[in-house]
Amino acid sequence: MRRLISFLQRFVSRSEFGPLVLLAVEFVIFTIRQPKFISPLNISNLLAFTPELGIIALGMTLLMTSGEFDLSVGSVFGFSAVVMWTLFNEGTTSLPVGFLIAMAIAVVIGFVNGWFVTFLKIPSFLVTLGMLLVVRGTALYITDGFPQGVWRTNASMARIIVGEFRFAGLRLYATVVWFVLFAIILGYVLTQSKAGNWILATGGNPVSAQARGVRVVRTKIALFILSAVMSAFAGIASSIRVATANPNSGTSYELEVIAMVVIGGTALTGGRGTVLGTVLGVLILRSMRNGIVLIGVPGLAYNIFIGAIILGMMALHSGLERRYHKGT
Amino acid sequence: MMTMTDELVRMEHIKKSFGRVQALNDVIFTVRKNEIVGLLGDNGAGKSTLIKILSGALTADSGEIYLNGNKVNIRNTTDAIQHGIETIYQDSALVAQLSIARNLFLGREPIKSPHFLDRMDQSAMNELARQLIKQVGITKEIPPTTPISSLSGGERQAVAIARAMHFKSDLIILDEPTNNLGVEETRGVLRFVRNARDSGCSCIFIAHNIHHVFQVVDRIVVLRRGEKVADDVDPKRTTIEEVEQIITGMKYNS
Repeated sequence: MRRLISFLQRFVSRSEFGPLVLLAVEFVIFTIRQPKFISPLNISNLLAFTPELGIIALGMTLLMTSGEFDLSVGSVFGFSAVVMWTLFNEGTTSLPVGFLIAMAIAVVIGFVNGWFVTFLKIPSFLVTLGMLLVVRGTALYITDGFPQGVWRTNASMARIIVGEFRFAGLRLYATVVWFVLFAIILGYVLTQSKAGNWILATGGNPVSAQARGVRVVRTKIALFILSAVMSAFAGIASSIRVATANPNSGTSYELEVIAMVVIGGTALTGGRGTVLGTVLGVLILRSMRNGIVLIGVPGLAYNIFIGAIILGMMALHSGLERRYHKGT
Repeated sequence: MMTMTDELVRMEHIKKSFGRVQALNDVIFTVRKNEIVGLLGDNGAGKSTLIKILSGALTADSGEIYLNGNKVNIRNTTDAIQHGIETIYQDSALVAQLSIARNLFLGREPIKSPHFLDRMDQSAMNELARQLIKQVGITKEIPPTTPISSLSGGERQAVAIARAMHFKSDLIILDEPTNNLGVEETRGVLRFVRNARDSGCSCIFIAHNIHHVFQVVDRIVVLRRGEKVADDVDPKRTTIEEVEQIITGMKYNS
């Protein structure tokens, strides 16, 4: 009995507990008000776009744990698909080569973000805001603002990235599998690996981490690259799924993704991060957007609920932090 | 008299100024192996500056540093730690959000095979951490997975000390380690300093509280206005009053 209580206490004090309860409450309320919410069709719809944002959020989680964030993810999301399809449609390269070039450009974008933040010591807010404008501007310029068509898809590559399949009565895309796979790998890295210890220490106390031999600069640059690469992958997957590469797609995703990450329990200031929490945060915001329309709340009121969730969860996390980890 | 081989650290002709203020003027400072040196001086005497140069937090304008007779170049704190010089400040350089075990092994994490993405050997880390915190005198049962932010000031210092001991630092610099500590915690730190010497380590001990210094050190060095005014004060044959007079400049003993 005492062991059960102590187990429960540990369970409740975990930062993922709040988000888990919120997600459960959402599902219960939406299902009661509108049973169609948990119909296979609606869950399939929910899981079509959710993993694309979720993949960006996973990269952002590790970056934010190291004490930085990336506002350029939405623009990279739109830009990478535009690059790949422009190269392919103009016959410059095959689709896999276009894909590799788009990913390589994402690596460069991430590296430049990281270089500005670490070597020039400019806050990531300003660096990635600048990068957002540069990347979005480039996407608009090379397409003249028009969407790129996605007709002659290379079947095998498209199937690997976003192939459709049926599972337990649901129509799913391969991005769900990628999202789960990335979540497992990055969750493992953050909690079990030496790299994870370095990421947490970099976000918690960069000066003393540096003094202990942690390569703070290298860690941060690697995470900026991870964030850009994940966004590029998500953007390319999305373009194949919706069969268009719009230079404007991904607009304002950065804020939604950051909201998902902090709702899950990762600290905006660094030093604390949870991949499981982010997965919950992603599901909370996406099912909120979906469910609120289903139960007949006017779509224009949607942001009120999102804002309230963010504020409520922040209050909860800060309360838990004060209660269980006094002194910081 | 001592020979060169006895010397662990030798700082020679160290000069440092901040703008027009000469913080250190041609200071020679040595620490022998297995020796606890108390570094005393009034506020602004240059103790912290001297120590920061040795621990890599500042660089001297001129002068040389020798370790075991070899000239070394200490450009930053990482260099100092690699040379076996560990500094323990009041607010010890720990990552508050990380656990005790993760802090102890930060930067030198033991890796478990199979080497899948550099997996840390967390059970070994926790087990070693449990032993180490017992060794440095934390009698309370604290799980090694506790984050540093939940520890008291003294416990945090004990963790920093445990880290210095485990990684076999040659020299541990304790900069005001007893400030803000309770009686029992202070006793723990003083006991640690004696243990460290017994296990082959040298210490530099800086404290405002002369009584604490007198309890543990082998030799007292006094700085005043950036210059060394006493080098070989034996705490066993000198009274606290005499040392106070040297510190304030009422009496010279060089």
